[in-house]
Amino acid sequence: MRTTLISLTFLLVSFAGMSQKNEYYKAMGESLGQYATCRTIEDFQSLGNKFSMIADAEKGEWLPLYYHAQCYTIMSFMEPSDAKKKDDYLDVAEKSINKTVEMAPGESDIFALQAMFYSARLVVNPMERGQKYGMLSGQAVGRALGIDPTNPRAKLIKLQNDMGSAQFYGKDPKDFCGEAKALLTGWDEFKPKSALHPNWGKQQVAEIVGSCN
Amino acid sequence: MKIYSLIIFLLLGSGLSAQTAISGTVRSQKDGSLPGASIYLKGTYDGVSSDASGHFHFKTLKTGNYTLVVDFLGYEPFSTEVILNGKSIQLDVELKETFSKLDAVTITAGTFEAGDKKQANTISSLDMITTAGANGDVFGALQTLPGTTPNGESGRLFVKGGDSEESQTYIDGAYVQTPYNSTAPNTATRGRFNPFMFKGTIFSTGGYSAEYGQALSSVLLLSTNDMPSQDQLDLSFMSIGPEIAATKLWKTGAVTATLGYNNLGPYMNLAPQNYDWKQAPESTFGAISFRQKTGKTGMFKVYSSFDDGNFTLAQLDLNQEKMIDYGLDNRNFFINTSYKTNAGENWILTTSSSFTRDQDNVQFDGNSFKKSLNGFHLKQVAARELSRKITIRAGAEWLTKSIQQTYHSTEDTFINKYTNNTLAAFIEGELYASKRFVARIGARVEYSDYLQRSNLAPRLTAAWKLDQNSQLSVAYGWFYQDPSDDYLVYTHLLNYERADHYIISYQVSKSDRTLRIEIYDKEYSKLAKQSQGAFYIPESYNNSGSGYARGFDLFLRDKKSIKNGDYWISYSCLDTRRNYRNYPEMAIPTFASRHNFSIVYKHWFGKLRSYPGVNYRYSSPRVYNNPNSSTFNNEHTLAYQSLDISWSFLYKPNVIIYGAVTNLPGFKQEFGQRFSDNPDGNGIYRSTTLIPGSRRFYILACFVTLTRKGNENQLDKIQ
Repeated sequence: MRTTLISLTFLLVSFAGMSQKNEYYKAMGESLGQYATCRTIEDFQSLGNKFSMIADAEKGEWLPLYYHAQCYTIMSFMEPSDAKKKDDYLDVAEKSINKTVEMAPGESDIFALQAMFYSARLVVNPMERGQKYGMLSGQAVGRALGIDPTNPRAKLIKLQNDMGSAQFYGKDPKDFCGEAKALLTGWDEFKPKSALHPNWGKQQVAEIVGSCN
Repeated sequence: MKIYSLIIFLLLGSGLSAQTAISGTVRSQKDGSLPGASIYLKGTYDGVSSDASGHFHFKTLKTGNYTLVVDFLGYEPFSTEVILNGKSIQLDVELKETFSKLDAVTITAGTFEAGDKKQANTISSLDMITTAGANGDVFGALQTLPGTTPNGESGRLFVKGGDSEESQTYIDGAYVQTPYNSTAPNTATRGRFNPFMFKGTIFSTGGYSAEYGQALSSVLLLSTNDMPSQDQLDLSFMSIGPEIAATKLWKTGAVTATLGYNNLGPYMNLAPQNYDWKQAPESTFGAISFRQKTGKTGMFKVYSSFDDGNFTLAQLDLNQEKMIDYGLDNRNFFINTSYKTNAGENWILTTSSSFTRDQDNVQFDGNSFKKSLNGFHLKQVAARELSRKITIRAGAEWLTKSIQQTYHSTEDTFINKYTNNTLAAFIEGELYASKRFVARIGARVEYSDYLQRSNLAPRLTAAWKLDQNSQLSVAYGWFYQDPSDDYLVYTHLLNYERADHYIISYQVSKSDRTLRIEIYDKEYSKLAKQSQGAFYIPESYNNSGSGYARGFDLFLRDKKSIKNGDYWISYSCLDTRRNYRNYPEMAIPTFASRHNFSIVYKHWFGKLRSYPGVNYRYSSPRVYNNPNSSTFNNEHTLAYQSLDISWSFLYKPNVIIYGAVTNLPGFKQEFGQRFSDNPDGNGIYRSTTLIPGSRRFYILACFVTLTRKGNENQLDKIQ
């Protein structure tokens, strides 16, 4: 009787633990599913809110912080003109990115996102920030590719940076079409570690390839 | 068995317990309903975002005590305890705006700020470098801002009716004794420092903080770059000489070494010159800059430079009616250190120091004149944040300056010298009442052991944000400065000179457009005067001078209206008179002009990989004194005009080719007349017109940056 009771208690405790973890997977799964329906800054903000809530509940996980930062970086890119708002969004993203860097410094995708974040800072004022943030973004991509040379998102951001600077310097961004096509063809060879791990970017490459024709 | 049923009951029970519905609205006092706020139960996955009208509604299966959090960007997070027991919860939340100094009102009266900070700047460091006509000189670029008057025969800063000696320069908090290169009399000088050393610039044309003393008119605060980001080698080939700079990084620090050589000889042989150079200006310079991070927040910086320059120029001596050679050899050594660190939670400590050793050796007509300056400055500042809205800063400094002037003629040698130690302390509080109102109240005390005088200078500034885009700023303060070295070498019987500033400034800025209007009044008192007695007698000097400078400045900056284009327009109107030095009466000083206008335009042509710029300046006629006339300072110079162009071409991302022409149309420029010391036999003082060294100035340069990656460039150091 006593052992049954003890084992049952264990079962219950682990069940409660499981259910917490399950809730995490469920909430993450739902939120990731919501990406496809996000159209406006407000949509991304409300999705970002969800990730922030999950990150708060699940302090040991870097993925919710990663997606939180990604939402706010996207918001900055989407903001049409208000430079201050762009930077405000990026300030939020920066905090989450810095936390993920501390939590999981061996994750290639974190640095790929950091590179995207630096590019977003650059875009706010390319004339004045080009030098500094272009370099920082390049370095972050370098780190991402150093950790995992096959990471397609790191390659994508490198490609976007190269095309952006080509355009700025009056060169033809189409010089990078071959690279884009190769990236698209090989995209699916990269297998994310889990269903919750970053898996975005293919559509953006497809758009770049589309614009080449 | 009982226990099983209990467990099953418990399990079922938790499943059966009623859902709790939580709903409500999120609003803010200022903006009304807030859509997009995050509402959730802390530590759970239950929550939503507020909808377009600020409403929210969600259900939770949780029971018991939880914390409900309402969170939204730009507002203080709100949290409250809730008991979840199946009863619906209705909650209307009003969020308070977060207080952040970054987007709170800032003090702008008298101040132009630039840097790599995120907020929109009036003038950025890049602007200072790419401005046509500035030729890569910090001071040259500042002369496109309102409140300044270009003086072609000096090149120094003259701010709001103040003499150039009334403006001081600080690097990383430390005083710079010799910010300008030495030149021949009546020729334009340049700053000693390369603009690309600096990440931020604050140019204050009045009403500045109690931290800064010994300046009646303006302070220029330069902060040097933090860590460079990679190893690199920079090579510059300019029409006036080459320069090489190498940067080496390690994990927590970096060092940059620079070496350069300039010689204007070859250039002057090609371009027509107005002056008769016997030996063209030539200089050798080097600098070492060192950065070291210490601990988590500490940063230690050292910048050290030497410069050795010389030239010989033949100038007409009106007293002897013949050409004489004027030769100058200048040696300058400067070292500047700063250490900044956080101490505990709320303290920031900054220690700065500088040492200058400057020697001018002038040879003319068989005579020699040597001026040597040794200066040391040490400053310790502690800042403590008492709360997010109140910061107190306090500091103490020691400034010592030794000047020795040796005049050596064929018959005689005169040595005049003085050493002055100034001890000073200041305290200042910055108080935010809200995001919309800030006041800075401070005071400064100084004591001079040479003058045996002390002063107390109160300073007060405040700023109100009138609405989202506009603000009003006011400044008031007393400012003291030692009289000129030229007097102090002969006398210690003088007191500090004083200026009182009154400034009102209105600024409106919206999406990359800024308009600024500033009205000011500066009242001078106790200005040093030289009386009729012999110049070497200490009693010949007194503090009976006075004066005023009043006017208004307009500034418009627009990066928005023209795509890829960027322009700013400055206009200043100045009304000033003073009675100082050897003036017989109140008069308009020779360095002041009533109307100053400047327009700078730059445009980025991506296809051409080019960033050309154009700059036009107009300055209304200045006065000068003609000793042949009975009225003092009653002659007028020509109005000053200059149209300058520059073109930067990005040949490759790491190779920039740059060309510039100052005064392209060749406007006639003259800066008044110089007169002989004594009248000739007919009672007439002989004169000659002061003109610039050449009608136009051309520069051509190529900058190459070599890095491991090979694509960084030197865009930020176009000169």
